[in-house]
Amino acid sequence: MSIVEALSEGMRKMETDVTDLEEFRKEVRAWLAANLKRRRYSGPQAARTETKTPEEIAESRALQRKLFDAGYAGISFPKEYGGRGLSAAHERVFREESAGYVMPDFGAAGAVTFSAIARSMLAHASPSFLRRHMPKILSGEEIWCQFYSEPAAGSDLAGIRTRATRDGDRWILNGSKIWSTGAYYADFAMCLARTDWDVPKHRGLTWFAVSTKAEGLTIRPIVQIDGEAGFCQEFLDDVVVSSDEVIGEVNQGWAVAQTMLVYERGAGQAGPVVLEPRTLAPDLVALARKVGRSNDPVVRQSIARAHINDYAQYHLGKRIAARLRASDQPQPAVAAYGKLASGTFSPIRARIAVEIGGPEALLWHPDDKRGMRYAVNYLNGRMTSIAAGTNEMQRNGIGERVLGLPREPSFDSNRPFSEVIANARNWDGRVS
Amino acid sequence: MDSDATDDQKVLLDASVRFMQQVCPLTRVRERAYSNITYAAEYRRQAGELGWFSMLVPEDLGGGNVSGNGVLDAALVAYKRGATLQPGPFTGTNVVAHALSTAGSKEQRQKVLPALMSGEASASWAISPPAGHPAMEDGVSAEFRGGACVLSGCKTFVQDVDESCWLLVTARSNAGVSQFLVPPGTPAVRVVALDSLDISRQFSEVHFEGAQLPASALVGMEGKAFDLVAHQSAIAAVLTAAESVGAMDHEFEMTLRYAKDRIAFGRPIGSFQAIKHLLADMSLMLEMSKAITLAAARSLGSDDGYGLEAASMAKAFVGDAGVDLAQNCFQIFGGIGFTWEHDQHLYLRRLTTDAALYGDPAWHRERLCQLSKL
Repeated sequence: MSIVEALSEGMRKMETDVTDLEEFRKEVRAWLAANLKRRRYSGPQAARTETKTPEEIAESRALQRKLFDAGYAGISFPKEYGGRGLSAAHERVFREESAGYVMPDFGAAGAVTFSAIARSMLAHASPSFLRRHMPKILSGEEIWCQFYSEPAAGSDLAGIRTRATRDGDRWILNGSKIWSTGAYYADFAMCLARTDWDVPKHRGLTWFAVSTKAEGLTIRPIVQIDGEAGFCQEFLDDVVVSSDEVIGEVNQGWAVAQTMLVYERGAGQAGPVVLEPRTLAPDLVALARKVGRSNDPVVRQSIARAHINDYAQYHLGKRIAARLRASDQPQPAVAAYGKLASGTFSPIRARIAVEIGGPEALLWHPDDKRGMRYAVNYLNGRMTSIAAGTNEMQRNGIGERVLGLPREPSFDSNRPFSEVIANARNWDGRVS
Repeated sequence: MDSDATDDQKVLLDASVRFMQQVCPLTRVRERAYSNITYAAEYRRQAGELGWFSMLVPEDLGGGNVSGNGVLDAALVAYKRGATLQPGPFTGTNVVAHALSTAGSKEQRQKVLPALMSGEASASWAISPPAGHPAMEDGVSAEFRGGACVLSGCKTFVQDVDESCWLLVTARSNAGVSQFLVPPGTPAVRVVALDSLDISRQFSEVHFEGAQLPASALVGMEGKAFDLVAHQSAIAAVLTAAESVGAMDHEFEMTLRYAKDRIAFGRPIGSFQAIKHLLADMSLMLEMSKAITLAAARSLGSDDGYGLEAASMAKAFVGDAGVDLAQNCFQIFGGIGFTWEHDQHLYLRRLTTDAALYGDPAWHRERLCQLSKL
């Protein structure tokens, strides 16, 4: 093929791709209008944990099933596992078109099911595992949650202590997991456990699919600082898991974890469609007017600061998205900028509202349902500084993988994990 | 910040960087080479050839830009200028060129504008009132007597004024905000050169001691300059922010290299989280500064209806971020940063001065509130 032919071939391909996307958009638009309910826009949603009722979950399952049956669940997932086998661009078209409609809402557990969990499974699980679980995930029959963190291991995920012991063709799990959002309504959990204690910490980890109905598994919702109970703690007492429910290779769990963390930090998503903020912090302006402080220069400075930070964060997000699109590889370290920006500025913004409002933000009448929103936002303002990778972990990621600074000296990654934890409390700071 | 530049923009930026490397590297900035009139004239002439002063002037007046968005092109050049702390009234000359293109008389457009674009003459914007005056038009009053106009008062923070420099003076007259184009060498205009924190540029105080100007010195209608001044202020904000981001980028690179090279306690200091996390935070603020400055340049240059607000936001954000970054770099350099021969103090001086120039962060935050009708 000559260069000219190759180019015109490429042009034709590009044209069909574009036509294809446009056709797909028309198809999606028509189907959405005929089958789904419109959503009323209620302004930007503040960060908050959420409690889901069984009725809400049941409604979302029915809606998810409707999408699945029509071919709009797992648009970019392989056909053999229940998806539609189209591109990420098609997935994005659907996201854009469906933004104005009522969509299934499984809360945070839904978000991790369809991004981090399903994507990591595609990369690492066996074909038979994927044939068994993926269609059920896409149809809303199986909602998954994360059994990652433990009471004694969060940022240091490779330091988990839940134990899995082999027993013929099954495994026996013992330990405790925590911060699993939505576990009380999920059907399965993706659970990280230690399968070898006599090797360094990253080399003895394995992932298991654990049914939330399994015998020996206790799930307790945790009441949070805002009074809601969105996440849970679990206790595993001799929970039995079959060998074919292992995800990836035994003792090779850290490779899966790395894929998972990339998606969890948003590098695998196209990102939500957000509008450029062009109205001066409307929530803060309304509050300032309500308390008669809109002419107070200190308050005006704070309102302007909040809006400027919102505006800068929006444009940072666009900049990161462009950099991620320009690269073939997922770049978790680049995505870390967006996470760190949110973790840095969300608490500041929540605090500004409390400073402007004073008693108006801190006190409310018992029958005023919306009266507590500033206080709740304030308490939840640190959520993105801590959840799914603390600010400090993002700083390590940016420092080491973007800026190329040397790693921290590690004294636990080349010794048997059992030896590390036996001596940790008496560590004297000597690395030898 | 120029990673998304078009091919045409890259050609402009590459040529500009080559020019700065040859004519005015940081060593020349340090020696204050630009204070020599012959040197400054040659610098301006070459910069004019590159198109530095034509980007905000429409093509039918002899100007032009490479991307269709002159503010964006100028901001990218400003970013490159900031990296090596370039002297000269780049912002001022572009602001004045814009003002003359928009509101200048036929004579001003035909005689002065071509000289500014070619670099034959320079122009600076006399906007900052002396201490104690909050409004931009304060400091100088204009009074019409017969056919002439008399300017009295003082403006400060006027950048790189020399014998060939035209001054655009924003003043208050009975009719409101008015602007005047003052020719070089006008009697009763006294320029007093000041010493300053920033040693990469020359700032002056300009005294108008009953200076008489013909009515033809007015730029636009008497008392009707309010909107134009707001637009000039936005251009100055974006270009100054862009120069700051260039300086931040360069200083951050210097500091990052030092954190990798400097050994303490048996390892590079950048491996300590106290330093690593500081650098990560600085890097975040730098990325956000780039993002907000580009957004403001795009918005202002495309007249999309949010340019004035975006420009003030960029100036406020980058002003604070720039000073924070310079202070943190100083801390990471430690003792060596206290020496005259190390370059960090040049950047600290520049970024601190940029933050105050053409409206400090607090001023632009208040302006954002007013533009937003709060």
